[in-house]
Amino acid sequence: MELPVLNDQPESKGESGCSAGSCGSTDDQLDHLSDEIREKVQNHPCYSEDAHHYFARMHVAVAPACNIQCHYCNRKYDCANESRPGVVSELLSPQQAVKKTMAVAANIPQMTVLGIAGPGDPLANLERTFETFQTLSRDAPDIKLCVSTNGLALPDAVEELAKHNIDHVTITINCVDPEVGAKIYPWIYWNNRRIKGKKAAKILIKQQQKGLEMLVAKGILVKVNSVMIPGVNDQHLAEVSRIVKEKGAFLHNVMPLIAEAEHGTFYGVMGQRGPTADELQALQDSCSGDMNMMRHCRQCRADAVGMLGEDRGDEFTMDKIEDMDIDYQAAMVKRKVIHQAIEAEMNEKRASKEEHTIALPKLNTRPVLMAVATSGQGVINMHFGHAKEFLIYEASSEGARFISHRKTELYCSGDDSCGEAETALEKNIRTLEGCEVVLCSKIGFEPWEQLEAAGIQPNGEHAMEDIEAAVMAVYLEMAEAGKLDETTQQKRANA
Amino acid sequence: MSLSIIESCVNCFACEPVCPSEAIYEAKPHFLINSKKCTECEGDFADPQCATICPIEGAILNALGEAINPPGSLTGIPPEKMAEAMAELQAH
Repeated sequence: MELPVLNDQPESKGESGCSAGSCGSTDDQLDHLSDEIREKVQNHPCYSEDAHHYFARMHVAVAPACNIQCHYCNRKYDCANESRPGVVSELLSPQQAVKKTMAVAANIPQMTVLGIAGPGDPLANLERTFETFQTLSRDAPDIKLCVSTNGLALPDAVEELAKHNIDHVTITINCVDPEVGAKIYPWIYWNNRRIKGKKAAKILIKQQQKGLEMLVAKGILVKVNSVMIPGVNDQHLAEVSRIVKEKGAFLHNVMPLIAEAEHGTFYGVMGQRGPTADELQALQDSCSGDMNMMRHCRQCRADAVGMLGEDRGDEFTMDKIEDMDIDYQAAMVKRKVIHQAIEAEMNEKRASKEEHTIALPKLNTRPVLMAVATSGQGVINMHFGHAKEFLIYEASSEGARFISHRKTELYCSGDDSCGEAETALEKNIRTLEGCEVVLCSKIGFEPWEQLEAAGIQPNGEHAMEDIEAAVMAVYLEMAEAGKLDETTQQKRANA
Repeated sequence: MSLSIIESCVNCFACEPVCPSEAIYEAKPHFLINSKKCTECEGDFADPQCATICPIEGAILNALGEAINPPGSLTGIPPEKMAEAMAELQAH
């Protein structure tokens, strides 16, 4: 079987690579997109870095069956304390899913997007997935519908997807080379047979690429997710990024592998490690020359509800929803007003940022990583001790650049049975490794001392200020104090 | 002759839609096979479909009561390695 994608000659980087705005530091990751695409993603928290501070999303778990096996997935695993893809606490029927979606949309008017992402593959559960979409596109037309798939059954589903008003699809593509694929996918279910090894990977890759091309031809937006697995596909993902960009995917999301022995996955049990924050950032940077990268993904549960980084799923369990009386027509009116207000606020903020951008003095200084405690809206508004995650920014003479978020809790920090006894504070400090400053609204004496001892400068002076402005203010202070000159850098490198 | 599903089934729904004779049904605590309807896919497919899509090793037995997908056959995790990892976790 010929795999045209692998035979493609790479175009020279100079011509096909960096479109304006997608290289290096940029204020708005959507700069280079057409107006039409910007319009589509501006209130989508997963697609727009800007929007995720304001808008919420939810997933409904209606698609339990899967047609492939991935080495990072174990379908029997469910832990209430965990936040990661594939984990859910209740499986819904399409009718329940519709009810839940409308209840959430009425109660959280910032909710704009409903996604179906598993556990399992939504397109291996066509009936359940499409029944949900069909009802929602009729009864709740103001909600954007999204689907996430492994791609195996995608080409046959494109026609149907287009019918149901689905304008965003995520495909998980971890490789374009069957040699690599055979190390990630032990088997697929294809034409009523279980197929293993390289042959299976080859079929999967071909279907994914074909599906991607078909979606793009239909004008459906495609985001590509890739799981970065050190030693398996880390060297290969820049090539994946180049190819999917060439074929018209508009956003690439490289996510770190999550693998712990207790998850019971192949990678977990076999001791495959995930990437470090540095490795992930380096790969994202190397891919970003070719395409728009997503850096704010929280790898949420397949039944997450609310803003990215928070989960309000507990407020909307089926038993609670049964008691709710929802007037969706009234909710839609209210939602519209709120969405318009948010969009106005976002536009205002963007305009004021442009207006207030001051030219940075000529600096010959090294970049610095800073962690920020925030609950959203782009301002520093979290107490250090209350932060469940930190946003990581890189400050440099080029300006402030959002790099990633880091969760403060380990994936399963439930009780003493999980790993060594380490205090929450020690864990948080370890999470901030590589950062030199942490900005928060307030911080207690004890963490202050311990952070300083760990070489991280706490800073509570910029509470309620705009994150990027504060990051640059602190950076300039550091530069003026001579903390960023070559000697310091040398010292750091030698340390 | 009929296949059967045992308690290690995790209710992932994969087998139910692929059964050509509608022998598989959702039940508590796990999916079950109606032995009167099950044909082991004879005449329809070369391999029994439920066992061909099932991701859980050991969950589906043949008519002789043997696991169609024995430990290690689907995940690639050597059984001793799995036992080791789980013992390690329980020791905590």
